[in-house]
Amino acid sequence: MIAATGLCVRAGSFRLTDITFEVPDGGYGIVIGPAGAGKTTLLEAIGGIVPVTGGRVALGGRDVTGLPPDARNVGLVYQHAYLFPHLSVGANIGYGASDLAIGRELSRRFGAGDLWERDVRSLSGGERQIAALARALARRPSVLLLDEPFSALDPRRRASVRRELRAVHREAGFTVLQVTHDFAEAGLLGDVAILLDGGRLLQAGSPENVFRHPASPYVAEFLGAENVYAGELRAADALQADPDDGPGAAHRAFEFRTAPGGLSMMAVGDAVPGPAHAVIRAEEVVLSLAATGSSARNEYQGQIVEIAASGALVRVTIDVGGTPLVAALTTRSARDLGLAAGMTVHASFKAMAVHLC
Amino acid sequence: MGERAGYRIASVITALAASMLLLFLTVPVGQLVAVGGVSGLAQLGHDAELRDALALTAVTASVATILGVFGGTPLAYLLARRAFRGRAVVAAVLDLPIVIPHPVAGIALLLALGRQSPAGSVLLALGLRLTGSVTGIVCAMLFVAAPLYLSAAREAFARVDPRYEAVARTLGDPAWRAFRRVTLPLARRGLVAAAVVMWARAISEFGAIVILTYNPKVASVLSYDRFTSYGLGAALPVAAVLVIFALIPLIALRTLRYDRSAAGL
Repeated sequence: MIAATGLCVRAGSFRLTDITFEVPDGGYGIVIGPAGAGKTTLLEAIGGIVPVTGGRVALGGRDVTGLPPDARNVGLVYQHAYLFPHLSVGANIGYGASDLAIGRELSRRFGAGDLWERDVRSLSGGERQIAALARALARRPSVLLLDEPFSALDPRRRASVRRELRAVHREAGFTVLQVTHDFAEAGLLGDVAILLDGGRLLQAGSPENVFRHPASPYVAEFLGAENVYAGELRAADALQADPDDGPGAAHRAFEFRTAPGGLSMMAVGDAVPGPAHAVIRAEEVVLSLAATGSSARNEYQGQIVEIAASGALVRVTIDVGGTPLVAALTTRSARDLGLAAGMTVHASFKAMAVHLC
Repeated sequence: MGERAGYRIASVITALAASMLLLFLTVPVGQLVAVGGVSGLAQLGHDAELRDALALTAVTASVATILGVFGGTPLAYLLARRAFRGRAVVAAVLDLPIVIPHPVAGIALLLALGRQSPAGSVLLALGLRLTGSVTGIVCAMLFVAAPLYLSAAREAFARVDPRYEAVARTLGDPAWRAFRRVTLPLARRGLVAAAVVMWARAISEFGAIVILTYNPKVASVLSYDRFTSYGLGAALPVAAVLVIFALIPLIALRTLRYDRSAAGL
């Protein structure tokens, strides 16, 4: 568990003020915020790298506020990896490990087994990030702190490393706090979403709550996604692509069912069956007055419950069997369709428009 | 006059100024080595006083450098890493021995550590006499050369990103072990260079040493002694040997640096 209570940090002229949140044991927390929000400083405060000026930090139920980093059992991966340049990749990965075999096994799992003997200076940015991740995990930390750890990886490698990290996370049961400036780039929502800006906490809570009930218009604008659903993902095997089909083939077809509500939708993505989140941007949802019979895999009939105008756009909220679905369309389209609260309409979106997290 | 012609004239003036300075800095030393180098090296074979002076210079400079490295490394690390009130003042005070005239440095040392001072009395009780002794030579060398080590070592530590240490700490290293396993190896080249510069500065020191200890003579005092007693001809070989002595580690250091830079290290 990671618990921050009224955390205050001063790093030079930057201040982090009154940060309170909790990531449960074995949970996955995501810290989201623009550049300069204080995301890295927050990780460093939790890791004991920068001293806190107020509040407290508890890891696994133990107050560690005054403890040095080496007494906290945390792993830390910076965006720029910070591999020790005077050591080989293997020596880096084994640096804090009690057993080198663990480091070797992790390197192999992350597809970096052949880097073991290499000079750190010969690695690409992505390879450095993988080695840094293996190095942090090789010590078997109870808390893993990740600062944009996949930013230098190409999309395909990023997906496989992310998948493997989730598998390691499930097996080992450590708690993760990952920083990103963009939830879509992070590709996952985790159990807790923590939004920071200007050194202050904007909102913290379950991702669906944060996305669906943003605490302020700024948060809503920053997140830019209205349809966020928690639910269960099942493989739709009949549509599964051959993994050797080249780029994009790692994307598989899934059926996603929201909970509660039970709204079923087809989705395509690189995900693991089980509990998941689905995100659909309102701009991807098309409204029509009758069934379209188009190629879109997802089509529902629902009742308009709210129409909110925002400049040249309107956001239409439809009740689909008890599940709200938001569509964004131009004011003119809404006028042409004659949309009004209480009307029954058809909403459709492609399986590819469903972002699986 | 066009912009292009103006640019050419400026280029010529700049090149002339740079060449003049280069010649001004290298010709006297080059001429000294050219004129007195061979005879100086030959004199080493039969001039016991010169050999003793060089040996004393090497030993005292080495002891001063070891003391400087030993005490200066943690101090430089502290100044590079820890922000505390008055850090700028401390750094300025530590640089002071570089800018004050060296005989003044000798007088200051005499005042602080001479037999009349409380510290000097303690040193005397311990059998360490500052004047007319090897201890005095080491003290003078340490006083004038250690600030150079401190300054360069501070820069060397500042160039190591503290996040390397942060990562090492999260990997289980206490502060001192992270320093030994990560910071020190990453700053090593800068620290070695700083120590070499300190050593070279120590062997060339004259002003502070001559105030504290005329005898036994280090090489710089011996060259001055021969000049005042026997004239330029007698001082030349000693001076040339001292220049060669100082040049060897500096050239080795620069060569090592350029080789590593070329290899991308």
